[in-house]
Amino acid sequence: MTRPTARQPVLEVTGLSLKFSRDADVPNLVDEVTFSVSEGETLCIVGESGCGKSVTSLALMGLLPAPPANIVSGTVRFDGLDLLTLSERAFADIRGNRISMIFQEPMTSLNPAFTVGHQIAECVQRHRGLSRLEARVEALALLRLVRIPAPESRLDAYPHELSGGMRQRVMIAMALANRPKLLIADEPTTALDVTIQAQVLSLIRNLQAETGTALVLITHDLGVVAEVADHVAVMYAGRIVEYGTVAEIFDDPQHPYTIGLMGAIPSIGKRQGTLATIGGSVPSPERMPKGCRFAPRCPFAQAQCIAAAPPDLRLTQTHRVACWAAPVEHAINMSMLEATS
Amino acid sequence: MTGMIEARELVKHFGGRRHLMSRKPTVYAVNGVSFAVQQGETFAIVGESGCGKSTLGRLLLRLIDATQGQVIYQGKDITQLDAGAMRRLRREMQIVFQDPFASLNPSMTIGRIIGEPIELHDLARGQARRERVAELLRTVGLQPDYVDRFPHEFSGGQRQRIGIARALAGEPRLIVADEPVSALDVSVQAQVINLLEQLKQELGLTLIMVAHDLAVIRHMSDRVAVMYLGEIVEMAHVDDLFDNPLHPYTQILLQAIPVSHPQQRRERLALTGDLPSPTALPSGCRFHPRCPHAKPLCREQKPVNECLPDGRQLACHFWREIQNQGAGAPLIPSVSDKLAQRLVIYKERQAATPKGDPHA
Repeated sequence: MTRPTARQPVLEVTGLSLKFSRDADVPNLVDEVTFSVSEGETLCIVGESGCGKSVTSLALMGLLPAPPANIVSGTVRFDGLDLLTLSERAFADIRGNRISMIFQEPMTSLNPAFTVGHQIAECVQRHRGLSRLEARVEALALLRLVRIPAPESRLDAYPHELSGGMRQRVMIAMALANRPKLLIADEPTTALDVTIQAQVLSLIRNLQAETGTALVLITHDLGVVAEVADHVAVMYAGRIVEYGTVAEIFDDPQHPYTIGLMGAIPSIGKRQGTLATIGGSVPSPERMPKGCRFAPRCPFAQAQCIAAAPPDLRLTQTHRVACWAAPVEHAINMSMLEATS
Repeated sequence: MTGMIEARELVKHFGGRRHLMSRKPTVYAVNGVSFAVQQGETFAIVGESGCGKSTLGRLLLRLIDATQGQVIYQGKDITQLDAGAMRRLRREMQIVFQDPFASLNPSMTIGRIIGEPIELHDLARGQARRERVAELLRTVGLQPDYVDRFPHEFSGGQRQRIGIARALAGEPRLIVADEPVSALDVSVQAQVINLLEQLKQELGLTLIMVAHDLAVIRHMSDRVAVMYLGEIVEMAHVDDLFDNPLHPYTQILLQAIPVSHPQQRRERLALTGDLPSPTALPSGCRFHPRCPHAKPLCREQKPVNECLPDGRQLACHFWREIQNQGAGAPLIPSVSDKLAQRLVIYKERQAATPKGDPHA
C-alpha cells in the first residue's frame, strides 16, 4: 500500500513559520512546519479547525496577501524553485498549471456566471495557449476523465445546475487540467455525502496513479486519511505534532493529541464504551500557550510541557513526534516512580 | 418498554401550488413513513442529504404539519391538537439543531436563551428561575456565570451545549436531535456525544437522532431507520443493521464509510449516479435506478415492507437472493495493540485530572 519514498520530493517545506502580524510578541500562527511530498505520493495533513492547515496550504499556493501575512522564516522548494521568493508574475504561471488546488466548497470556488465548460477551458487556454476550440475539446476530455455522465451536455451547464458531487468533479477536472506536478486539496470531500465522498476519493486516487501527481490532502477526517494517505502530518495549533507513514500513525500513534483524536472517533464496529475526549478547545491565536501548545488540554501535561515547547523526537527514519511525554506508557511509569520516591 | 412516539403513514409534500402562470413542482419529501419509538430508546434516522430525514424529524414534533398521516405521542394523536394544547405539549418534546451558530439568537444572553422555555411554561420565577438556569449550565458542563454572555463569545461545541441546555429547560421526555454533532470538530464532537448519552441516562430521555454519520449512529443508537427518497428502506436493531445489512442501499451506504485502518483499503461497490430529484420520484422501487441488483420488476412494482422475525423491516423485492450472493459483509475495524493500550492510559489519565472548565 505504501509506495517507496526514495523518489525526489516535489515539494519540500522546511521550518515554515508565519503570522498575520509584524509584532515580534505575537506567536506564529504556523510554526516551524516541515514536510515533503514526492511524485505520486499522498501526504495528509490532519487537524481540527484553527490548527493552521488551510493557512499553510494557502501560503504554499502564494495566495496569502502580505501584508497582513508575514512569513517569518522557512523555505518552500517546489521543483527546484523557492516559492517564497517568487514574484507574483512568476507565481501566476505556476499556479493552476504546475501546482493546483481543490477547495472544500465547490459552489463558492466556481464562478456562477460562467458555464463549467468555459471555466475549464479558461485554465487550459491561460497556461497552454490553446485556441478556443481546442480548449473546448480539452474541457470535454477532462469532464470525461472525471467521469461526469453525459459530458457533452454538461459543458454548457452553469455550476448551480450541477449537484455537489458533480461540482466537486468539475473542480477536480480544472485542477488536473494542466497535469500539475502538485495538487493541494483542502477538505475536498467534507461537504459531500459518504457515497459521493467514496466516489470522489477513488477518482482522485485513480487519477493520481495515472498522472503521478504529488498530492497534499488536508482533512479533519481520519477515515479519509486511512483511505488515501502515504504519509501523515498531524497538526495542532500551527505545529506538526506528529509525522509518519500512515501505518506508523495508525499502529503506533505517539502524541497524546493523535491518541485522543483516534479515540474520539466512534467505531463502525460494535460499541466500545464511551469515547475518549480531548477536553477544552483549540486555543485562539492571541492566547497561544508558551510551551507545548497542546499542554492545556493534555492529560499528560507536566511542568516541563508548560515551560518549553518539546523538540522533535525521531523514532524512525520517517516517524517523529513533538512531545515531552511520548511514549505515554513511559510517562505513566515515570509519574509512578515520582509518586513512590 | 412502552410506546413513546409513533409515526403512522406520515407524508409531507412541499410546493405544488398553482400560480397564475406556472406551477411549482411538488417536492415529495416524506412518503408514507411508519415507525414506533419506545420510551428510553435512542432511535436513529439516517440517510444522505435530501432523503427527507430532517423533514421527518420536524414532522414528529409538529414543527411543520404533515400532508397526511398521524403522529401519536403517548397514545394521543397530536396532528389534530390546537395551538394551545400543542404549546403545552412542547415542553415534553424538544429539538436540538445542527448549526449551533444559526440556532441561538445572537441578541439574547445565554441566561435568557435558556430561561425562556422556563418562563414560557411558567416552571419557575425570579431567583428560582436563575438557579434553574445555573443548574442547567452545570448539567451541560458550562460555568454558571456564563449567563450574561452572548452566543458569539462561545465556540461551536459550547454553543451546542447551550442548545442542549435550552432543550432540557422544559424537562422534556423526548428530544429530537437533528445532526447534533455534525458541525463540530472530532474532539468536541466526542464531548457532545458523551454528554447526550449521559443526560439521556440520567434524565431517562427518549432520543431520536437524525444524522448522516454512520459511525456516530452505530455508537449511540439502539435502532436505526435508513431513509432513501422519503421512505424507510430498512429498519433494524443497530447491531443487526451494521453487521448484516440486507437492503442494497444500506449495504452501499455502509461500504462507503471510509476504512478505519490503512490495511483495510479496498475496491468497493460504488453507487453510480446522483440522488434523483424528490420532485420526480422513480417508479417502482425508488432505489432501482442506482441499485446494482435491479431487475425489471423493481422498475414496475413497489416492494412491500416485510417484517422479519428479528424485528427488522425491509423493502426490497430480492433481498433473499442478494443475501445469498454474500453482498454487504462488513469490515471489522482493527485497532493496533499499541493504540489500544495507549487509549486506556489516556482515558485513565484524563479521568484522574481534575475537571475544571478549560474554556475559562
